[in-house]
Amino acid sequence: MLMKYLPTRTELKFMVFRSPAFILSALLIIASVALLSTSGLNFGIDFAGGSVIEIEKPVDSAVGDVRSVVGNLGLADVGVTEAVGTGADPQPVYVIKFRAPEASEDIESAQQEANDTVRSALTEAFNLTEADFRSSAAVGPKVSGELFTAGITALGVALVLMLCYIAFRFEWQYSVGAVAALTHDVIITMGVFALVQLEFNLTTIAALLTIIGYSMNDTVVVFDRVREEMRRYKKLPLTEVIDLALNGTLSRTLLTSGTTLLALLAIFFLGGPVLRGMSFALIFGVIIGTYSSIFVASSILNTIGVSREKKSIDDVPGFQGV
Amino acid sequence: MLQFPSWKVALIAITLLIGGLMALPNGFSNAFLGIEPERPSVETPEALAEYVAARDAARQSWWPGFLPSGKVNLGLDLRGGVYLLMQITEDDVIANRLRVFSADVGQAFNPSPSERIFQTNETRAGRLEITLRPDRNGVIRMQDALDRLDDLNTPVEGALGGARTYTIDQVGDASIHVSLTDAAVSAFKREALSKTIEIVRRRIDPDGVRDIAPQPQGENRIILEVPGEPDPRRIKEVLSQAGELTFSLVDDTPSRIQQAVSTGRSPPGWRLLTDVDSGERLLVNNVPVVTGADVATASQGYDPDDNTPAVNFRLNGAGQQRFSKVTQENVNRRFAIVLDERVMSAPFIREPIYGGQVQISGGFANNSAGLQEAIDLAAIIEAGELPAKLNFIEERTVGPGLGEDSIRAGTLASLIGLALVAVSMAVIYGRLGLFAVVSLSANIVLILGALSGLGATLTLPGIAGIILTIGMAVDANVLVFERIREESRSGRSALTAVQVGYEKAMSTIFDANITTFIAAAVLYMLGSGPVKGFAVTLAIGIFTSVFTAFVVTRWFTVMWLRWARPKTLAV
Repeated sequence: MLMKYLPTRTELKFMVFRSPAFILSALLIIASVALLSTSGLNFGIDFAGGSVIEIEKPVDSAVGDVRSVVGNLGLADVGVTEAVGTGADPQPVYVIKFRAPEASEDIESAQQEANDTVRSALTEAFNLTEADFRSSAAVGPKVSGELFTAGITALGVALVLMLCYIAFRFEWQYSVGAVAALTHDVIITMGVFALVQLEFNLTTIAALLTIIGYSMNDTVVVFDRVREEMRRYKKLPLTEVIDLALNGTLSRTLLTSGTTLLALLAIFFLGGPVLRGMSFALIFGVIIGTYSSIFVASSILNTIGVSREKKSIDDVPGFQGV
Repeated sequence: MLQFPSWKVALIAITLLIGGLMALPNGFSNAFLGIEPERPSVETPEALAEYVAARDAARQSWWPGFLPSGKVNLGLDLRGGVYLLMQITEDDVIANRLRVFSADVGQAFNPSPSERIFQTNETRAGRLEITLRPDRNGVIRMQDALDRLDDLNTPVEGALGGARTYTIDQVGDASIHVSLTDAAVSAFKREALSKTIEIVRRRIDPDGVRDIAPQPQGENRIILEVPGEPDPRRIKEVLSQAGELTFSLVDDTPSRIQQAVSTGRSPPGWRLLTDVDSGERLLVNNVPVVTGADVATASQGYDPDDNTPAVNFRLNGAGQQRFSKVTQENVNRRFAIVLDERVMSAPFIREPIYGGQVQISGGFANNSAGLQEAIDLAAIIEAGELPAKLNFIEERTVGPGLGEDSIRAGTLASLIGLALVAVSMAVIYGRLGLFAVVSLSANIVLILGALSGLGATLTLPGIAGIILTIGMAVDANVLVFERIREESRSGRSALTAVQVGYEKAMSTIFDANITTFIAAAVLYMLGSGPVKGFAVTLAIGIFTSVFTAFVVTRWFTVMWLRWARPKTLAV
């Protein structure tokens, strides 16, 4: 039992670091926004539109062979790369990306036809069977635009709902701190996606929403403790109360983050390429979410301050009486 | 917090038992569970033999019928298959409607020679333009025409306030513009959508055995998922045809065809079409003898002459009567079976055809591709004509290989993740950690059971959701254990420490999980496909992990406390 040897109550002065932490967060956000507006996100076809076809590598073929087959079909932005497939015995695969010609009258249908044309051309050129096609997808610009709007809407709606819930369960000062921390996490995670140019797609949005949920989880645990300590030590300055709460929840914060990270690392390394982008976002999000609930959410709560006399325990809605 | 009356224990045990039973089928093969396989759509000898073997194995299963046999529904990304998003062309719906109305107008204006109103109709830019011409007396009977149109202008079915179908405007002295009212447009769009969904289903799954259910999305879109289908081209081919079937008489006089080909103009009342198999050009009469609406059934069969695949169909009563009359009058002439302006077959009428049995043959290769083609054509004919053209706007296909690999990778990642978390919990918290690990396993079983029982779909991101739940389920346990540890250190007895620990952690656990649940709910409402699957497992995981951590672990802990009666907790 490792826990026996760890101290129950640490006395770290977290709030002393709130200025350096604030500068660090501000710098990270500025850098993220700068990256997002310059190099931008590497949108997958979910959001950018276009086609991707993945085939198993035919024997004795090279990237150039595939490129010459697909390149002759009058399509735009043709890209062919070789990658390693998944499974017990991973075979090399070709990932072929392309777009319907820009001038097409009905670009949505043209993108679909392009997929069929490429499939037929590859089947003929390399004598492929249906089983050689690992996957194919074609998304027109209209649908991809809608998917992007839906994704961004989902993020916005989730943030607003969380704000309401925290305002209802705590007080508005807490919800400002919590949502600032969430926004901080989302912007910086997107900044990292812009930095490493990892594909940003629908599952990444799902990952971002999960990060919001996770980071919120962390923040709520800390805030709950802040509220509790505040009732216990009525005269203690807010800064010290927050430090008490952060120390009281520190081992829980680290343990939960630790086990979640272990599980996520398992997906990242063993879950195959389809889940790599998602698990990367989640791993990064868990780390940044843990940091933000300690330094961003709590610091903002510390700065805004909380009215300490107004509410007694019984006034707080929720589960206390259960 | 520490009282577990027997009804509570019974409730916990029953929940775990039901969850376990629901999850159980996932560990066995279909044959073992007595689930009979689907009959193959293309009945090649090998496919049929495989089917019969699997079916017989399933019938010999001793799996009791009262136990659940449903497995987790795998999403297309794990099973392999084709996902298509298609859109109905709104203009097409309106144009088709106006074409029907135009024919009605023609009839209403010419009930008998004496009452005839001379007019020409033209459909242009989403409206019907009727131009009246003077009758024998040189009079344009505008009022009469408007009255007759008014009789045709029925209220929109199901619309509030009796809204009419058409807006009828007199333009000048001789011209009338007819367009659809907004109420009518939305009613026709709704009708077209539900009709198209039914036709799509019947074309892709004519026998109704593949459990294919196209879903409407918005007011003009349809989502179709075809599990196990490796080639999206076939699906698109089957769905892109309008399916307009007609039987018409043929004029194959070489000189007249020659003239039509060279001048590019067919004689009035006839049109020049091409036979898809032979490439022969034929003049086909514009007035069909029977149409697709007269077909009662269509199925794939075999040509009795050379045993190649063919399509058989049978006409309904009215169609049979017309067809036998026309064939009686036209022995030794030809008729054409025309599908979407392509001549599928143009046989000679050797003798009158009375029974209404017709066959399209000769165009299908004698292999499984030809067989599939005949099956598809029969399905198209039987399902009927699409009310409007379908445009494909999104396609996603996952090959069977990738699906299998994803399942393997996902399962491996889950097991390793579970093992890592279990080991760290046991190392960090000792006995309490072991209790948490047991309840974590119960958690996984409950998630699987809930997914199987609810018929929810498990996707690859959904597997990631389960793994994430494994990591996060520990959180509730950790929150409680940390509290117990604190209380224990401040000198409380074991029993009190556990009691106070659970009490204090409770509201935190609920708050924390409700916020995660909000994120999952938003994802479910706004996401699609795999993302939705992720939201479902995340949401189910939140419920089961709160239950297992807060109830099951507590129960174990309390039982152990009662049994061992330790003075203090060594945590």
